[in-house]
Amino acid sequence: MSDILVVKNLTKRFGGLAAVNDVSFNVRRDGIMGLIGPNGAGKTTIFNLITGVYKVTEGSVEFDGKAITDMEPFKIADAGVTRTFQNIRLFKNLSVYDNVLTACHLSAKYSIAESILRLPRFVREEKALNEKATALLEIMGLTDRKDVTANNLPYGLQRRLEIVRALALDPQLLLLDEPAAGMNPDETEQLMRLIVDIRQRFKLSVLVIEHHMDLVMGICEDIVVLSFGQKLAEGLPDEVASDPKVVEAYLGSSGGNSKC
Amino acid sequence: MDWNYIQGILMLAGINLIAVLGLCLLTGFTGLFSFGHAGFMAIGAYIGALMTVSPNSTPGGLGLPLIVGIVAGGAAAGLVSWGLGSITLKLKGDYFCIATLGFGEAIRLVLNNIQVFGGARGWPGVPHYTTLLVVVIAGVIGVWFLANLVRSRHGRNMIAVREEELAAQIAGVDVVKYKMIALVTSAVYTGVAGVLFGHYLTFLQPKMFNMTKSTELTIIVIFGGLGSISGSVLGALILTALPEVLRAFDIWRLVFYGAAVILIMISRPQGLMGGMELSPAGIRKLTAARRLRQEQKKARAAENAEGGAS
Amino acid sequence: MNQLLQQLVNGLSIGSVYALMAVGYSLVYSIMNFSNFAHGGVIMLGAYFGFFGLTALKLPFFVAFIVASVGTALLAVLIERIAYKPLRARRAPFLYFIISAMGASIFLENIVIATIGPTFRTYPVIFSRDPIAFGPIAVGRLDLIMFAISAVCLFGLILFIEKTKTGKAIQAAAYNMKACALMGVNTDRVVLLVFALGGFLAGVAGVFFGMKYTVYPQIGNITTKSFIAAVFGGLGSLPGAVIGSVLLGTIETLVSGYISSQYRDLIAFVILIGVLIVRPTGIMGKSAEDKA
Repeated sequence: MSDILVVKNLTKRFGGLAAVNDVSFNVRRDGIMGLIGPNGAGKTTIFNLITGVYKVTEGSVEFDGKAITDMEPFKIADAGVTRTFQNIRLFKNLSVYDNVLTACHLSAKYSIAESILRLPRFVREEKALNEKATALLEIMGLTDRKDVTANNLPYGLQRRLEIVRALALDPQLLLLDEPAAGMNPDETEQLMRLIVDIRQRFKLSVLVIEHHMDLVMGICEDIVVLSFGQKLAEGLPDEVASDPKVVEAYLGSSGGNSKC
Repeated sequence: MDWNYIQGILMLAGINLIAVLGLCLLTGFTGLFSFGHAGFMAIGAYIGALMTVSPNSTPGGLGLPLIVGIVAGGAAAGLVSWGLGSITLKLKGDYFCIATLGFGEAIRLVLNNIQVFGGARGWPGVPHYTTLLVVVIAGVIGVWFLANLVRSRHGRNMIAVREEELAAQIAGVDVVKYKMIALVTSAVYTGVAGVLFGHYLTFLQPKMFNMTKSTELTIIVIFGGLGSISGSVLGALILTALPEVLRAFDIWRLVFYGAAVILIMISRPQGLMGGMELSPAGIRKLTAARRLRQEQKKARAAENAEGGAS
Repeated sequence: MNQLLQQLVNGLSIGSVYALMAVGYSLVYSIMNFSNFAHGGVIMLGAYFGFFGLTALKLPFFVAFIVASVGTALLAVLIERIAYKPLRARRAPFLYFIISAMGASIFLENIVIATIGPTFRTYPVIFSRDPIAFGPIAVGRLDLIMFAISAVCLFGLILFIEKTKTGKAIQAAAYNMKACALMGVNTDRVVLLVFALGGFLAGVAGVFFGMKYTVYPQIGNITTKSFIAAVFGGLGSLPGAVIGSVLLGTIETLVSGYISSQYRDLIAFVILIGVLIVRPTGIMGKSAEDKA
């Protein structure tokens, strides 16, 4: 079975600066892959390139055998690639339920005229959307908070809601951008179990950007290391962890930060 | 206070309401601000008049019934908005506003300079077809259409665009398409309002559709509360009726408008009903939210009590 | 050929007045990232201040001039305090600022209509209407003075911003307000200063406008064109505002002279649409991509 995501020679230049420089890697189907590297290494930029938020300067992105380079972001989402954001971008003033319901729209096809006139197809499909949203919230343990305004959720649940919203689109590849940011070890463990669980339950592949090494080492099956926009190393967690280039990039010569 | 006078106020309020409903969709639900919608009103009004004015008048028209005027006026406004949107919707928020401002003024200037519609002196002799019944029917249909549109996946997509455009894209929403739908719909509503307006005043002049008029419409939407249809209805009624009631202070009407806008922005930007609706579902949401807040307060108080004791 | 030169000179003189107005827009935009639509109202009041200074108070010209401009500077600061500062404190989205600005603009225009009245006022003739001849070209004395004073003001402003410490603070704040505050700059004072400067220039522009044309409450609408000039040159860029204004004034005058005066106002909007389609950030503007 081919890899779900093939990134080839991806390069993004802003003016004279190359934020991402000739990066290539594959994400295995049904795998959980980690994308790590010091701050500013270009990880979120790669996410933006994959999801069409930025246009590539050079290189290509292939998803499930189809080229998605420079496609419109919403088309890429429709195709099966969804993501969460480093700084949470929920629909803040909407309820938890509405956040998920809005994202459920893919399975409904009714037209504007049908909505205005409340024709049968509208009624049928709306019901299906509502059932799907309710089911998702149930699976992810957010049912009791479904009417809470997203902005008022505790931080950890906001991050979980963002993941739920991404799942509402029935993706095959889920991109998580620092999902454990700001979490304590307990919450991080919960999150780790959650990711493994949804990978299995929803049959998807996961690519996760993270700084929490316990999460990365704990659940990632492959790791790609980025530094200053270039791929530094790639391989199994243990290989990467003992790679001297990686150690130097993270710790530097002064033995600096382990948690960014 | 005779019935004719009250009728007049109600009709004007209704006409404003229909225009405001359009902006309610564009601004309140999709998050795009326009300072040029009077331009669409003008297009609707003039094209509508073109359809209905008797051929014997100068300038002359086609002498057709009101309904043709309404359809033609609304369609013309929608078509022009589609053109405008194709050029400007990809611009960032601030620049889109500027473009709408430019558009509104450009329409006024063009109408001022084209003599076939009477130019700056205006177009008299528009048949008086607008009655209270017509306005009420149009208003009810307008509200019904909008309410149904908003409570559907299309409406939710537009709200998503307003809330967090980038996330909406990632959630599979074709942002440009929905902005366009909102813009064209708002233009059609405003265009129809323009038709009714012309056939109420029986006289059209480009300066009636100036930047102040555009801003007035946006002010009403904000006053009523963004994201609330009932807010727009209330806002249109109150802000149209109030100055009429205070007729003696006519020149001061706009002074108070201006001051009121600033006041709303600095103290209560959510307007009258921001995000809330006077509907069964809306009231349920309100009471549920209040109950939730009370529960949270009780839970916090219980926590503090425990904390204090230990 | 001579006619062309004459038109160019006329265009330049209009352009310099637009430039004074446009710079005010760009200055505020560079700091606060919104289009201050109340600026037009301030310019209009500048024209009125100057008018009453000259007629009611019988002040000598330059005194009235300065008084009017200081008056508008104070007015601009007042507007900032009332209509924008509370929004800044609340980190309101920029569109709220625009609406508040619109409200202020409507308020100013109509309070003048309601109190002073809508009749046009004409400035007393200060400078002789005889044009000075430069060879085959005639330049009005007023135009020359306008051009000279505008140039002085604009140069002074640009020097101030480039060379003084406070000017650098303004540049820094334009770049990143938050970082500026963290560096210990009193950003509130920077904002005040920017509005005062813009307001002062608005006063100068208003008085000139009143002198060249007439004084009426709707002057604010003319300033829409200077706003377009600011967009043309690049919102947020001061040199851009000047360049855009001069270009707009010249193009306008040429179109009016060679094609038809009816299209004079329309050309500004054609340019606006053109700019927004081709290069919305204008001649000197910088583009920014939304960071995810």
